[in-house]
Amino acid sequence: MSTQITLTSSDGVDVSVDRAVAERSVLIKNMLEDLGDSGEAIPIPNVSNRPFPCLGCVYYVRTSSPPSKSNGDDDDNRRKTTDIDEWDQKFMQVDQEMLFEIILAANYLDIKALLDVGCKTVANMIKGKSPEEIRKTFNIQNDFTPEEEDQIRRENEWAEE
Amino acid sequence: MSPRETTVVSSRRRPSLSLRPRPRTAVHSVVLPKNYTFDQWQKASLVEACADDASAIEEMEPFPEAVPRRRAAKSFSSLRHPVDGLVALGRRLSVTLRSKTSKQNLRVPGDEHDDECHNYHHVTGHSSHKRSAASGSWGVRSRAWSHGPNPVSINRRPSLNSVSALHEFYAPTASIPAPIPGHGLEPPILPNDMYAGAAARAAAAAQNELMELARLEMAKPERYLLKSSEMGLTKDSESGIGIDLRDRSDLSDAELDLIRTDPVSYLPAEIMAHVLSHLDPASLLQSELVSRSWYRQASSQHVWKHAFRGAHPCRPASATATKKKQSAGLGKNIPNQDWKRMYFVRRALEHRWKEGKAAAIYLHGHQDSVYCAQFDENKIITGSRDRTIRVWDAHYPWSCLKIIGPPPGDVAIAGPVNNPAQQATGKSPFATICPPSTPTAGIVTPMAQTADYHSASILCLRFDEEIMVTGSSDYTCIVWDIKNDYRPIHRLAAHRAGVLDVCFDDRYIVSCSKDSTICVWDRKTGALLKQLTGHRGPVNAVQLRGDLVVSASGDGVAKLWNVIDGHCVKEFPSKDRGLACIEFSDDGRTILTGGNDRTIYQFDANTGELVNELRGHTGLIRSLHLDSMNKRIVSGSYDMSVKVFDTESGELSIDLPGWTTSWMLNVQSDYRRILATSQDSRAVIMDFGYGLDGIELLEE
Repeated sequence: MSTQITLTSSDGVDVSVDRAVAERSVLIKNMLEDLGDSGEAIPIPNVSNRPFPCLGCVYYVRTSSPPSKSNGDDDDNRRKTTDIDEWDQKFMQVDQEMLFEIILAANYLDIKALLDVGCKTVANMIKGKSPEEIRKTFNIQNDFTPEEEDQIRRENEWAEE
Repeated sequence: MSPRETTVVSSRRRPSLSLRPRPRTAVHSVVLPKNYTFDQWQKASLVEACADDASAIEEMEPFPEAVPRRRAAKSFSSLRHPVDGLVALGRRLSVTLRSKTSKQNLRVPGDEHDDECHNYHHVTGHSSHKRSAASGSWGVRSRAWSHGPNPVSINRRPSLNSVSALHEFYAPTASIPAPIPGHGLEPPILPNDMYAGAAARAAAAAQNELMELARLEMAKPERYLLKSSEMGLTKDSESGIGIDLRDRSDLSDAELDLIRTDPVSYLPAEIMAHVLSHLDPASLLQSELVSRSWYRQASSQHVWKHAFRGAHPCRPASATATKKKQSAGLGKNIPNQDWKRMYFVRRALEHRWKEGKAAAIYLHGHQDSVYCAQFDENKIITGSRDRTIRVWDAHYPWSCLKIIGPPPGDVAIAGPVNNPAQQATGKSPFATICPPSTPTAGIVTPMAQTADYHSASILCLRFDEEIMVTGSSDYTCIVWDIKNDYRPIHRLAAHRAGVLDVCFDDRYIVSCSKDSTICVWDRKTGALLKQLTGHRGPVNAVQLRGDLVVSASGDGVAKLWNVIDGHCVKEFPSKDRGLACIEFSDDGRTILTGGNDRTIYQFDANTGELVNELRGHTGLIRSLHLDSMNKRIVSGSYDMSVKVFDTESGELSIDLPGWTTSWMLNVQSDYRRILATSQDSRAVIMDFGYGLDGIELLEE
């Protein structure tokens, strides 16, 4: 099952990968099943107007360590931690918009490991920050009225009795 | 010193002259007055670069003429003109230099400089930034950084070119890539020199917030180009904290300045929920305050479900767990569950445990010592020396639902329910509730024959969803059908003395007796499968995990048995006297024993090693309960106290003395309460969740 297949991005860039690797994208796996083993290049569907995120996903799948590390369905255990291994961290060192695009692409291509890493990366940008710091991080306008803000604060205040 | 400074000036300038003419000319055209031509500028610089110090000053002779011009175009020429910088430099050079070159009076009135300075600041934030950036390296040498105008004038030239100024700022190596050979008498300039001002650059950065902003803005186009040279810099620049040298991860924030995008508006809700589900509750609460759309996302129950589950993970499935599962207080997995509220309730509950704040609810009805009890979310079952088994409602009004056994008479609540004097030494209930005892008439199941119930004290009981097993001083066990109104199924008879403890799983029922034996029965048929002998005293307690049985005996030894072959695998002796109770952790790794040594012994089940001794009780420890999930060990003692220990530290965390008026005989706990039974004929619920708003959400 180690046959090579060629994936083509919408702007004509070809990437050659192991079929087994490409199948880590459930979407591509399904496409391969539908298309049969024709040996022809498989077009990678684009989710955005930028081709990179999808290519990036393929690159990720090809170069990241095998799925064993983040495989399995022990969701609860995995969700507890926002640890990201170093390689993934480096991979995710892109600007925010690109990061979001990659997440969208991973979601669309159905590459769970990458989707997780992307979401964790965003989560880590939020984690432990004050609302103001979060706003700064993502350039968000605070559209609460002071009353609303106060209301939420009071709701979230922990009163024992 | 002074010649060298002059050279530094020239060397710092040279790169911008020779390497980056484009930006300079661009600035030139904008900033310089027309009469300051490119040639003039170049000539001055060249002269400066190759002359000795005296001549360098002499070559400045044209300057007095320049001054009026500068005045005419104060705001710009004074800022930008390079030769001006030289004038100022000359002023600031050492006294010896100045005295040597007294031919020329280069003094410029101070107020004029003040004006310049003022204007300078008004030009733009960017230029101000450039100034600090470029002049940073000069601050230290000139010792004039704090003098206001001087740094301004001396650094006018670098500010000509914002790009190069930034370049120097970020990566001085780009300007001075290699040692520069000395001219004439001057010593060579070593690249080290270019770092000399790093501290000053840092200071400048700290001083000037504007600069920082401008830097971020201006850094963008340069960032990628500069990266490699930045990376190559030596640690020497560490004095420029957070300015010159940062590794990529530090830089990423600045980089992301380029495009800061709100993920909530960029990503679809389900993916954002995925992101947020990775967050801890504290971060979620902060996220809710970011904006309205964030509030909607971060307060969703889907997200909070993960937060709650993350904070209170489900019990790991254990193949060897045989006890009926205590409620973990994790709520029901139903649609529209209010997970966020559950999180708050749970947090309040944990706080109550920490504070030792519980209400006391007394279950009154038994006429003699309550030896044993077990409870789940809905019911409490107690067994007593009065030969009856009572089933109670675990909720308000805690009424007795059923009495199994010979018809008892009604009893009134008589005497005190607790011991206030003892309570004063520990945690006393914040509320005391004594529900009226239920009249027995309607709740006694009429039993046709005495064969249907125990003819002596109920010493032990266990139940699960299907059956209940009780052990009695009448030497027998009875298996009851819980689903069929507690009808008796079998009677297990083989012991030759009272049955002191019992436990069971899907396959076996294990009972232990005062006759020093342990019997293993088939759960389905009630047939006696095996008898484990070896103890030299009454076997007071027994527990079963998979194929392993642990037992504690009055002879002071706890034993680990293999049910299959009936052999004793290991022994865990107490230090001195008899053992009364034993707990086997769900994972089968830890064994706790308690007894007359007044100490809880913690053993490693695999190695047999004594791991810890938990002290605090002053009487025989009669009962133990281990709640691994909540990391609590609960113990009940003849010293009339119930104590809670932390499983990790082994420290006493809650002391609850005197909640009843006599010995504690049995204790059990779950996420919100401890049930303790006493020799004074009562059971007491120590309810840490009593009156807590929303506590019912945690019920499973």
